[in-house]
Amino acid sequence: MKRKIMSMVLATAMVASFALTGCGSSERAQEVAADTAVVEDAAPAEADADVAADDATAAAGEGFAADATIGISLPWLGTQNWKEAEVMFKEQLEAEGFNVIVQAADQKVPQQQQQIESMIENGAKVIVVGPVDGSQLGSVLEQAKDAGVYVLGYDRLIENTTGVDGVIQFGSVKTGELQAQALLEGLAKEKGEGPYNIELFGGGPADPNAPNFFKGAMSVLQPKIDDGTVVVVSGQMDFQQCATIDWDNSKAQARMDALLAGHYSDKEIDGCLSPNDGIARAIITSCEQAGQPIPVVSGLDAENESVEWVWAGKQYSTVAKPTTDLVGKTVEIIKSLQAGNGMPTTDVLTNNGKKDVAIYELPPLVVTKDNAMEAFANDPDRLALLK
Amino acid sequence: MKKLKKVLSGDIRQYTMVVALAALILVFNIISGGKMLTPSNFQNLLSGNAYVLILALGMLMVIVIGQIDLSVGSVAGFSGMVMAIVARDFNLPWWLAVLIAIAIGLLVGAWQGFFLSKLNIPGFITTLGGMMIFRGAVIWISGSISVPAPSELKFFGAGYLPEWGPNTGLNNSTLLLGIIGILVYVIKQINTYKHSGDITGERDPIWVPIIRIAVVGSVIGYFTYLFGSGRPGTSFPVPGLILLVLILIYHTITQRTTFGRHVYAVGGNKNAAALSGVNVKKVYFLTMMNMSMLATIAGILFVGRSTSAGPADGTSWEMDAIASVFIGGAAVSGGVGTILATMVGGLVMAVLNNGLMIMGVGADKTQVIKGFVLLAAVAFDVYSKKNGKDSIIGRIFGKKK
Repeated sequence: MKRKIMSMVLATAMVASFALTGCGSSERAQEVAADTAVVEDAAPAEADADVAADDATAAAGEGFAADATIGISLPWLGTQNWKEAEVMFKEQLEAEGFNVIVQAADQKVPQQQQQIESMIENGAKVIVVGPVDGSQLGSVLEQAKDAGVYVLGYDRLIENTTGVDGVIQFGSVKTGELQAQALLEGLAKEKGEGPYNIELFGGGPADPNAPNFFKGAMSVLQPKIDDGTVVVVSGQMDFQQCATIDWDNSKAQARMDALLAGHYSDKEIDGCLSPNDGIARAIITSCEQAGQPIPVVSGLDAENESVEWVWAGKQYSTVAKPTTDLVGKTVEIIKSLQAGNGMPTTDVLTNNGKKDVAIYELPPLVVTKDNAMEAFANDPDRLALLK
Repeated sequence: MKKLKKVLSGDIRQYTMVVALAALILVFNIISGGKMLTPSNFQNLLSGNAYVLILALGMLMVIVIGQIDLSVGSVAGFSGMVMAIVARDFNLPWWLAVLIAIAIGLLVGAWQGFFLSKLNIPGFITTLGGMMIFRGAVIWISGSISVPAPSELKFFGAGYLPEWGPNTGLNNSTLLLGIIGILVYVIKQINTYKHSGDITGERDPIWVPIIRIAVVGSVIGYFTYLFGSGRPGTSFPVPGLILLVLILIYHTITQRTTFGRHVYAVGGNKNAAALSGVNVKKVYFLTMMNMSMLATIAGILFVGRSTSAGPADGTSWEMDAIASVFIGGAAVSGGVGTILATMVGGLVMAVLNNGLMIMGVGADKTQVIKGFVLLAAVAFDVYSKKNGKDSIIGRIFGKKK
């Protein structure tokens, strides 16, 4: 009897634990990627930032075999962009003749650390890392450096370590600017004369990109707030106030519900700055349920559902960061390294806490109903959604 | 065959798990073309799993007293985060931050021990509450942002022992450890041999300890070579050494002290233990407190290895620790299980993980395989008990009476 109870208890425990874990790791589906790469000698990475950039250009590596092993470590496969990256990396690198190992860490830092170590064991020459947490891979990546492996950050900045050669991502400040511009353009187009009532949303604070999106957006919005064209009715304009923990859509929806209940009983909302598509849909849903007109909302990622909403005129805009561009740029850098040409040069450097890391930025693309057809012309999956 | 049994001191099946572990390592080594048994891979294996094995040490004792602790992951994450934050915001030296974290671990353990022993709330409920409280607290105090940890901690989480003395071709610290290990084993065997005739009046044949020493000695020797012959600057990893020391301490506590006997007595039959004068509440309290302290140490090592404390640190670690304990043959109903068998159980999981990763098997399939291994190990154990035999795995390293 006692044993029976204990085993029931244990089963419950397992379920409870998995459930809790599930909530904990809800996603930061976004991110921008830019292409960064710094070349460094295979010698242990010295955290000398000033030198890093120059070295990057000067120190062309020795190259490696054309069929060498390339490791790709992704945070998980739970959102569209990561799943796409997994497939594309495999196809493109194999087409180039490399031996590819792609592993996803299921949002667990220790698992990602061990996966990267096993890639080093397998003799990888380049390891591309989309980190679960950009600041928790320090000692593992330095170990990769010591083993003479090139480490490329993919889509997210890798912080707090000297063991990274460059980061490929979409410009995150630029993304924020584009989101705010799309919001202003949409307001003028759909909501008549100002002033406009708007609210601001930010992404997950653990994601280094989120504050940058917000910063970029505010650089565009602040002048308009100052001259009275747009009014943030709730007065909540700090990133911390507007942030959405873990990029959790349900938290954004709860915040929007509260804002509408507290500030909009006698007003109509005209627009919302949203850092990604999931949050955009949460905002729109909240407004619909509160009986408000659908506001002009920005987005990011061109998720399938939002592409449909944009096409239906429900969500005003999204920003596409085509995974194919990001993967393409990464593969290009890997080929350059393979040929012994080292990392391409870049002007953008970001301090990651230990060194200045070269960033390879790609331009994101705003998509509204007007340009959706052209924007997805090369993307049959998303093109099929426009009907 | 009879002689073999003699060397293994009893039932040959007692060694099932150890044999399984050795077989796993060898099979993976062959399949991966020799990538398993390399110095760097074993160094990684130890540094990367030390935190789970340390949790399993405490978890074994918790499970032996018939309880369970679901909060260890959250507690590890919480105390690691407190450490990183106090070190950063108050500019404290790293060792002070570590001491503060350990103090927090003890406090948390006392809190949970209080609910269990004084208020008689089942450990499952107490620690389920703790799991939520401390997970929420980590996210709260960190604002969901990772905090860089003092860089000295990297030594504990991913560091190596120093090199010194003459050039022996191996790392001398590792070599010294190996020699000490072999010496200790030899002395122990000689002692056992001397006393082997005390009861029966007939000593074991002399070749028994000699074969044992030869086998164990060459295993230790091989691993000394493996860990010591890595690239210059590497050795037996520091987190591994910390783990070894803790194993020794807890093996001694559980097998050789009054407290250890009380732990097994309470787990075997709480009422009988109470009637024989065991302070059951004290055993509950101390075991829970010890668990949280070990969780803190695990959290600190992990933060050291990661170079930052993150808001999700520790998520689902409790499950890995619990699985190690049960694969090691502990009984769900309490009272049975040993530190050394638990370590073998944990290593089986770690080697499976590592080997499958080296072969490039995805995390999804690895998870499925680990689930089956857990079920198989426990089912095997329960089945053999049912047939009226002694628990096999549980007694692998149990005290021979």
